[in-house]
Amino acid sequence: MKVLLFGPELYFLGMALVLFILSLRRQVNIRIDHQVALGFAAGGVVVASACLFQQGELFFAAYRVDLFSQIFKVALALGLFLVLMISHNLAHIDDRYHAEFYLFLTTCTLGLMMLVSAVELLTIYVSLELSSYSLYILVPLRRGDDMDIEAGVKYLFIGAVSSCFMLFGLSYIFGATHSTYVNEVMAKMPELVQSPIGIMGLLLTLAGFFFKLSVFPFHFWAPDVYQGAANQVTTFIATVSKAAAVAVLLRLVALGEVYGFGFTQALWILSIVSMTLGNLVAIVQKDFKRMLAYSSIAHAGYVLMGILTLSEAGYTAAIYYAVAYLIMNFTCFMVISEVANDGRNLQIVELAGLYHRNPLLGLALMLGLFALAGVPPSIGFTGKLLVFTSAMKEGYFWLVLVGAVNGTISLYYYLKVVYAAYFLEGKELPAVHIGLSTRALSYALILIIIGFGVFPDRVVELARVAVKGVLL
Amino acid sequence: MSAWFSDLTLLGCFLCMVLPIASFGLIMIFTRNNHKLSLAISLLCSTIPLIIAWSLLYKYWDIAEPIVYNYDWILSDFIKIPFGFLLDPTSLLMLTIVATISWLVQIYSIGYMEGDPGFGNYYAFLSLFALSMLGVSISSGLLQLYICWELVGVSSYLLIGFWYEKFSASEAGKKAFVVTRFGDVGFFMGLAILTIFYGNLEIANINSAAVAQSMPPWLISTAALLIFCGVMGKSAQFPLHVWLPDAMEGPTPVSALLHSATMVAAGVFLIARIYPFFSASPEAMAVALAIGTITLLLSSTIGMVATDIKQVWAYSTVSQLGFMIMGLAAGSYFAGYFHLTTHAGFKALLFLCSGVFIHHFGTNDFFVMAAKGGRKLIIPMVTITIAALALSGIFPFSGFFSKEAILGALYHHPNKIWFLMGLLGAFLTAYYTFRVIFVMLFPKNPAPEEQHGHDEPHEEHYGVPWVMSIPLLVLATFTLILGFCQGYLERFLLGHTLHHEHNYLLLVSAVVAALSGIGLAWIDWGSKKAKCVGFISYVPALENFFKEKWYMDHFWRWFLNVFIYGTFSRLFTYNDRRVVDGGVDTVAFSTIGSGRLLSFFQTALLQLNLLFMVVVVAGVGLYLLIGR
Repeated sequence: MKVLLFGPELYFLGMALVLFILSLRRQVNIRIDHQVALGFAAGGVVVASACLFQQGELFFAAYRVDLFSQIFKVALALGLFLVLMISHNLAHIDDRYHAEFYLFLTTCTLGLMMLVSAVELLTIYVSLELSSYSLYILVPLRRGDDMDIEAGVKYLFIGAVSSCFMLFGLSYIFGATHSTYVNEVMAKMPELVQSPIGIMGLLLTLAGFFFKLSVFPFHFWAPDVYQGAANQVTTFIATVSKAAAVAVLLRLVALGEVYGFGFTQALWILSIVSMTLGNLVAIVQKDFKRMLAYSSIAHAGYVLMGILTLSEAGYTAAIYYAVAYLIMNFTCFMVISEVANDGRNLQIVELAGLYHRNPLLGLALMLGLFALAGVPPSIGFTGKLLVFTSAMKEGYFWLVLVGAVNGTISLYYYLKVVYAAYFLEGKELPAVHIGLSTRALSYALILIIIGFGVFPDRVVELARVAVKGVLL
Repeated sequence: MSAWFSDLTLLGCFLCMVLPIASFGLIMIFTRNNHKLSLAISLLCSTIPLIIAWSLLYKYWDIAEPIVYNYDWILSDFIKIPFGFLLDPTSLLMLTIVATISWLVQIYSIGYMEGDPGFGNYYAFLSLFALSMLGVSISSGLLQLYICWELVGVSSYLLIGFWYEKFSASEAGKKAFVVTRFGDVGFFMGLAILTIFYGNLEIANINSAAVAQSMPPWLISTAALLIFCGVMGKSAQFPLHVWLPDAMEGPTPVSALLHSATMVAAGVFLIARIYPFFSASPEAMAVALAIGTITLLLSSTIGMVATDIKQVWAYSTVSQLGFMIMGLAAGSYFAGYFHLTTHAGFKALLFLCSGVFIHHFGTNDFFVMAAKGGRKLIIPMVTITIAALALSGIFPFSGFFSKEAILGALYHHPNKIWFLMGLLGAFLTAYYTFRVIFVMLFPKNPAPEEQHGHDEPHEEHYGVPWVMSIPLLVLATFTLILGFCQGYLERFLLGHTLHHEHNYLLLVSAVVAALSGIGLAWIDWGSKKAKCVGFISYVPALENFFKEKWYMDHFWRWFLNVFIYGTFSRLFTYNDRRVVDGGVDTVAFSTIGSGRLLSFFQTALLQLNLLFMVVVVAGVGLYLLIGR
């Protein structure tokens, strides 16, 4: 029953089909759309969890199922489920497009799932494009002003150029090694990094993932897309697709044991520039989503820091950080989509007085932001600690120093939001009412942010085991 | 956890720490508006430590080796800071004194504080105080002791300023806190030196001979002197004694028991606690002796001219603390500690008796009390006389024995000047004590017109509530019998009895000094023909000098204005405004500015973005190719 290894992907393919049928109906019922999508997504979490400990290879060894990929599949399924949970009012998307919205989210998740398992260059490329194309459609799906169109075009163009880079790079690698299997390519890596063709090939290939991760200089889409897309779409881009990008980048980098000094130094520079640029520009933003876009550029720099150490501890830290980032970022976006329940873009000042308009959301927002800033004892602090420690162990003192300074800078703009929520009186602003599910979700997120920040060992251990599997 | 319960001693120590803090928390958070419940909690949480303390004293009466429970808080290759309990005669005796006195003050306060709106808070503060004092007594490490020591300061601040609506009270609380903190800075620096150069803050270890081997003598002296700064603050030694008389603004039971018997004794206790370490430094001992002597004389002279009864006893406390430090510094650990014990009893008694008078007559001026018929309060009058006799050092009261011990220690000091100073101090003490007693016993101009302006609830009623008189009687009993326990205490504290050579010169001179003091007081204040002016008024300049408290308050005011506010404060403010604030502002503004600058790169022009991407990737590629 080898096909069971493909279980989660098949399940989401089926889910996409069901949603496709729903989207063909003439009579639109947005409640049913949402309930079906949410129910299937919940099932997806169960299926992905059930397949957690599967191992094997598929499709002529182009596709590898191991603990590493399965952990990320659970995370992706969970991410989709969470995003759908806050999609109960899609005020800025036309009613008749709701089913399509769910459909493309599902195909995107499917693409990301394949991405984390793919170990062949073309499979990787196709999976990446599957997820990207879904997002290209989702971003301009918003109704109203033309901002979404601008964002969509920008996203498409930058994505297309990045894909060009990547394909170009892949062609170089194929030309140099005569293979598209990652493990075969990486076996030849020592000679490869000596030759110009190999270096350019690798660099250009990484561009595709840097685009997903919004690492400098592929970050230009992030602010506009974050701001222009509907809140829920932004949430998905900011959380789920980021986690998958980290996973595949990790798998690629981890497979090659030797890169040489120059290559890590290039990553080093990109990491520093990413976090510094992201944090500095985030300071002056007034739109909350745009601010989070810049913050995501900065966080990409932190993740890169873990990856470029090329050590087991660094990879473990990067995985932990990616998962933690998913959770804490999601918390902030949940608050955005609940407070801006008509689907508008949320200015930071609109959070004024959140502590009395909805104390629970206020608390969740505060903890989420503290986690993003890395304040103990939150999950974000533990993540930063792990990343910095691993980098320090490998002797990247200056990198850690810049990271720490950046952490301080970021604290400023995160606290600005907390300040707005807790110290500005929002007397004239209406109270925010949330449903039972959001309430439960808030409690769960608060618990996770604090709980796994204080007792991170289980998650770290799981990440370590996964990394060990990849390194083999 | 089972170890906690199988070892009753450990459990006892643990309870001594946990119960008071639990009581403090419970009262502050839940019950402070319910006076009865607060009282019950607080009493329960002070009675159990009392029982524990006495039973521990009984159990370990023949203790040979100290009992130590340690939990290492900070441990590295060269630093060891333990937290835990240390039980040896020194700590057991202090534990018992503290537990007893705090229990008595709680009982006495039932009557004294009745009807006060802050009744609950008051008992919470008392619990906090009990916690910190018990902690000082049985700490096993100096850092732990320091923490409790500071907690003592906090709780005493809260208690002195308890009637905070009264301006003078809150000022006094502040003064006490700041002045003692001033000394504590020294204490902390001493601890820092010990940690850096010796690395072990465990008391048992500091007292061993190892210190002298691993630190040069000058460093030991520096550390000891710095720690002595803390003692000077807390035990109100010259020149940091100024806070104690002001501290009498607090409720009388507080001044009685905290600022006479326990809290101020903490300083003396600290010296006793690390006495072997202290005596390893002759310089520190000499300084302590000098400071003690100055304090003794200075405050007894001020006590001679004060008219507020609590002020008299406050200065008397200061002087007796100086006397204890003299005893310790003269080389007799036992004499100093013994005087601490007896003094705790009779000074508490003096204050509590005065409290009864103050409560009854609504005034602090003992001349007014006398005029209103103070001597009609039989029990307080008898007990205050007993306490006064003890304070003056008259046989057979406890003070006689302990003073005798200290004078003996001073007598054996090579320099006889200290002994003479001690005698002078004893003479002055007897004089100012009996000045109060004679004025009260033999009022010269009885019953002046009623002074209105302060209400007197029990005008014609000379009874004393039982909750207030029982502590008096208990303490009076202690005062009577404690002196005869000298032999036992010696055996307990030192492990053997001292050989008493009967030095008649010493004995006679001590008794003569005390009796002549009393006699002079009789001539000045007691006898029928007394002119009711002190002998000191023949030298008006000196009397004025004493009345102005040796201008110490003026000195400190001047010191504060010139050095603290005028110099340091101004410089630090300047530094804060210009350097720190300015620097931070510059960094912050330039950070925000650079963010604004960089955000221009985020243009809406797509083609520029794409160009930028290509350029950067090309640049990185070139770098890699060239740097290969």
